[in-house]
Amino acid sequence: MGDNVFVISAAMIPFGKYRTSSYVGLAVSPLIDAIRNAGIEKSDVDAVYVGHSYGGMMTGQRICKEIGLGTVPTVNVDNACSSGATAVHEAWQAISQGLIDVAVVIGVEKLTQFGGGTLPLSPEDREVKQGIIMPAVYAMRATRYLHDTEATPEDLALVSVKARKHGALNPFAQFRKEITVEEVLNARPIADPLTLPMCCPTGDGAAVVILASERARKRFESKPAIRVAASVLHSGHVAEGFRDMTKPEITYDSARDAYALAGIGPKDLDMIELHDAFSIAELIYYEAFGLAEPGHAVDLLRDGKTTFGGDVVVNPSGGLLAKGHPVGASGVAQIAEAFWQLTDQAGARQIDDARWAMTHVTGGGTAGLDHGACTIHIFEAA
Amino acid sequence: MTATIEAPASQPIADMEADSLIGNFPEGQRLVGSQCNACGCTMIGSRVVCSSCISRDVSRVALPSTGVLYSFTRIHVGAEGIRPLGYVDLDNGVRTLADIHEGDIPLRPDMRVELDVEDDWFFAPAADDKREV
Repeated sequence: MGDNVFVISAAMIPFGKYRTSSYVGLAVSPLIDAIRNAGIEKSDVDAVYVGHSYGGMMTGQRICKEIGLGTVPTVNVDNACSSGATAVHEAWQAISQGLIDVAVVIGVEKLTQFGGGTLPLSPEDREVKQGIIMPAVYAMRATRYLHDTEATPEDLALVSVKARKHGALNPFAQFRKEITVEEVLNARPIADPLTLPMCCPTGDGAAVVILASERARKRFESKPAIRVAASVLHSGHVAEGFRDMTKPEITYDSARDAYALAGIGPKDLDMIELHDAFSIAELIYYEAFGLAEPGHAVDLLRDGKTTFGGDVVVNPSGGLLAKGHPVGASGVAQIAEAFWQLTDQAGARQIDDARWAMTHVTGGGTAGLDHGACTIHIFEAA
Repeated sequence: MTATIEAPASQPIADMEADSLIGNFPEGQRLVGSQCNACGCTMIGSRVVCSSCISRDVSRVALPSTGVLYSFTRIHVGAEGIRPLGYVDLDNGVRTLADIHEGDIPLRPDMRVELDVEDDWFFAPAADDKREV
């Protein structure tokens, strides 16, 4: 284990559709706000890590030059939906190893550039050539999960209902209206059994966090901070044959490693921001995180154990389903939510006495892999 | 000056040359697989390297025409109307993504399916599965 690392600031724009904003236009405001909130000068920044998947060449440098933040290394990171969290992981590594003291991490994505439709995947991939799309991957997980367990389509809808309920409390969320189980089930089908509200929306977004070493944090210690208790990144492992799509090994492995690093278990967590790109994912991840035994995630959901007032609030921000999912921005936005919750800045969605938070993003549809990437962070109130 | 040893050049793999998953074999039209002659690992598609032992001694083989439907969905978005798609675990253990034709029998996970080729290839409920409830 290396040196302690802290998140000392967070800022983001509400996720939504900003057709008149470029990657630069999306990211510059939260970048300035995060620097100001931290009480640092741009000259204090030792390195910049930028997560995005569709921003093109030198996205980070294009953003940083607008505020004259240069000279220091700027690293552009692509890991699909895990891009932003992978950028945080890289910053954490550099600080925990004592190489640098202050890192800015930007997550940014502009999905409105594609004019709608499902996420563009690599045209070189075998299954992409056959016509796979991300909703179909998750839909097949859902079909199998409903076949193997007592879960029903109503449970898939209930995940979306909870997400929208949380999103209604979050000024950063793309969807801020509540929805009923009936409305979810009767909505437009996307890939059976998933309907439109069981799928995350496309949109644009940018989020920024600033990480600092213990030494640097003491220089700016008038500001609130949270400690990074674990930062874990795994890649998918190929299976040429059978794979249980309801038990994604990449998330099981990442959660195991994150708990070990943090020295805590699932019962200690007060909140989780998890990768609910499609509603089925939330149920599968309850099990992967050890919140429920395999096949029994719906018990937690139906009993309200994962909403406000429950044992652990899952996706207090509304998650990807309600807050939105601008690919490269999502992992950083999750950490911004953890920062605000653990420093008592979460407004109407504040979780009482929150001490431990976990954030989780996967990434990528690639033939033979469950996911291409998975990043998990655990944070402790400092 | 000439060095005593010259570093050999690695060569690119022409993996875009033959990317059709269906091919002609003595037993008829079958999905194309690759079998590693070093470790026996079998994989979908025309492959040059074994993903298990990284041997390059890999042979083109016909994959079984029957298997079990692991899971499926019907895609409602896109230009082609409703499109059923599923993962099939072939009888030798290799998994493939495939278009699924539904016919009269409702699809369900774990049902037996078999390959059929018309204009394009797809899997449909197998004759021996139709006897099951």
